[in-house]
Amino acid sequence: MPILDLGYRTWTGSRSREWLRWTVVATTGISLVWRGTWLKRFLLFATFPALITMFGVGLFEQSTRDETYRRMFNGFLASRVDPMGPRNRFRDRTRERTPIISETADVATQRHLAWSHLLLWYFRYPQSLWIVVVIGLVAPRLISYDLRSRGYLLYLSRPLSPSGYVLGKACVLYFLLAMITTVPALAVYTFGLLLTNDPAAFLQTWDIPLRILLGTVVLILPTSAVALAFSSLTQESRFAAFSWFAIWIVGWVTYLVLTGSALFNQEDAIKLQQRWLMISPYHILGHLQEEIFGLLPEDRHLIGPWILCGVVTLMGYTIARWRVARMLKV
Amino acid sequence: MSPVIDIKGLTKRYAGNFALKNVDLIVPVGVTGLLGPNGSGKSTFIKAVLGLVQVDSGAGTVLGQAWPLNVKSIRDKIGYLPEDDCYILGLQGIESVQMMARLSGLPSTEALRRAHEVLDFCDVGQERYRNVETYSTGMRQKLKFAQALVHDPSLIILDEPTTGLDPTQREEFLDRIHALAHRFEKSILLSTHILHDVQYVCDQVIILVRGQVRLADSLASMQRPIQSGLQIRVVCNAERLAEALRREGLSVQTDRDTELLVQGESIAIAATIWSASQRAGVLVERMDESKNSLEHLFMEIVSEKTHANS
Repeated sequence: MPILDLGYRTWTGSRSREWLRWTVVATTGISLVWRGTWLKRFLLFATFPALITMFGVGLFEQSTRDETYRRMFNGFLASRVDPMGPRNRFRDRTRERTPIISETADVATQRHLAWSHLLLWYFRYPQSLWIVVVIGLVAPRLISYDLRSRGYLLYLSRPLSPSGYVLGKACVLYFLLAMITTVPALAVYTFGLLLTNDPAAFLQTWDIPLRILLGTVVLILPTSAVALAFSSLTQESRFAAFSWFAIWIVGWVTYLVLTGSALFNQEDAIKLQQRWLMISPYHILGHLQEEIFGLLPEDRHLIGPWILCGVVTLMGYTIARWRVARMLKV
Repeated sequence: MSPVIDIKGLTKRYAGNFALKNVDLIVPVGVTGLLGPNGSGKSTFIKAVLGLVQVDSGAGTVLGQAWPLNVKSIRDKIGYLPEDDCYILGLQGIESVQMMARLSGLPSTEALRRAHEVLDFCDVGQERYRNVETYSTGMRQKLKFAQALVHDPSLIILDEPTTGLDPTQREEFLDRIHALAHRFEKSILLSTHILHDVQYVCDQVIILVRGQVRLADSLASMQRPIQSGLQIRVVCNAERLAEALRREGLSVQTDRDTELLVQGESIAIAATIWSASQRAGVLVERMDESKNSLEHLFMEIVSEKTHANS
């Protein structure tokens, strides 16, 4: 029969290493999500805040040469970090605020502080929200679709463990979140270095790229873990998406209600904010970002958010792995 | 030639119930049919071989490698067509096959080339550029077959591969299995309920019942009857021919109005049958050497086990 002559060919090439096979899950996942038109639009919009941050860096660099820009820069920064900003959050709002960048000291020496503030704003406000939106769009279907269509059997029938599978899926999120946070933030930093004519600028700010990377890791790991855990717990991606948005919204609203009462005086407010910090994922991550960028007042350091973040990350990935491994049972 | 699968003492329990109970199984080179009623442990056995389920006990070799110690590298040499309808949502057929090739370690371009070749072999045309979720059941079976073959495995495990195929597609599918086994020297483990498929392509048969191997032998020796004879199909009036043959001193059984089983040495009795049919005026349609029916054997083994348990 002609069907027997349709050219089956044996193959004897060299194969890639087994421990790298999870990269196929990652690249396939990235190529699949990249087909979404809305996602591309969201990613484009997500770069706009980086332009604002670049403008801030430019304004600061201008202020090192021209004093009239100094006040303008302080105003620009204060409108973004104040009153929510770390330095002013606990300050009595009736009192006159201290400018973030001293108007009397040598401005160039405060470059690290200024850039850190700008990047913190970038991570803390616009990009944190973008992360929630983008993960909410992409993550719920990453594992749940495979559970529904039994695609996991295809992946795991090759030399790939459930852990490798989850890692591959997580890398899809890592890639997207790095596109939203790390790449634009490093671009802002590079833009600042290119803009300044101060040769000491790099020495003053060399640690900022590391802080950017650490800040990204702290944002990406727990959020991806939680999103993948939700995705693995259901075959209906809408339930996972609902749960994802619910934890952010409920946490945020509850935190604001519990800490926003005007009945408390300033001292109580500080204690309350610290006490209820752990119920809002958004505020926990914000707290950690402030710590990473070195902008948290010394008496505000807490170990709890770090531990919680680690535990949530570990639990998230463990749940996702366990669910995938469990699905293999006949 | 050393067997492709040689596992001893394989036990797997689910919540205290034995899915496989101390199974010793040798799968030789060639096409092996894995038969058994629902819940007999066929799929568990396959998943255990692939290391997809953790077994309670058992050890051996698969494709010459220690099992279950090297199960990951064993998977690289096995092509698996799962029984379940499984696909990656959003991928085109060609991308699905390419992805499976890459998961088996083929470089991206080579994976694409192999994917096209294998899809050609599996008779998937331009449909390969459609998203897999739009495929019919038959197309999905072909796609899964292509995914199982794309990395050129030494052992191909097919779990209910002909489900959802029309008769023509099924025959073509079995032809492909036959070609892979006999022209490309692939070993194939075929798990199925369809005994016709087993008779069509298999060299060996293993029958699993309630997690235990009840029979493992070559198809030829299974079908060899205890007494030799001829199976005759007539157009009608089998009983009239049977009477004529009995008068000649032959032992005859009639199954239906069109079928008879005549015992004796085939060559010696053939001439008697022809002359008897002429005298009785019964037209013989077909005459074959008698064989044990796989269906009868299977039913016997399954019911024997059921009686033993009851």
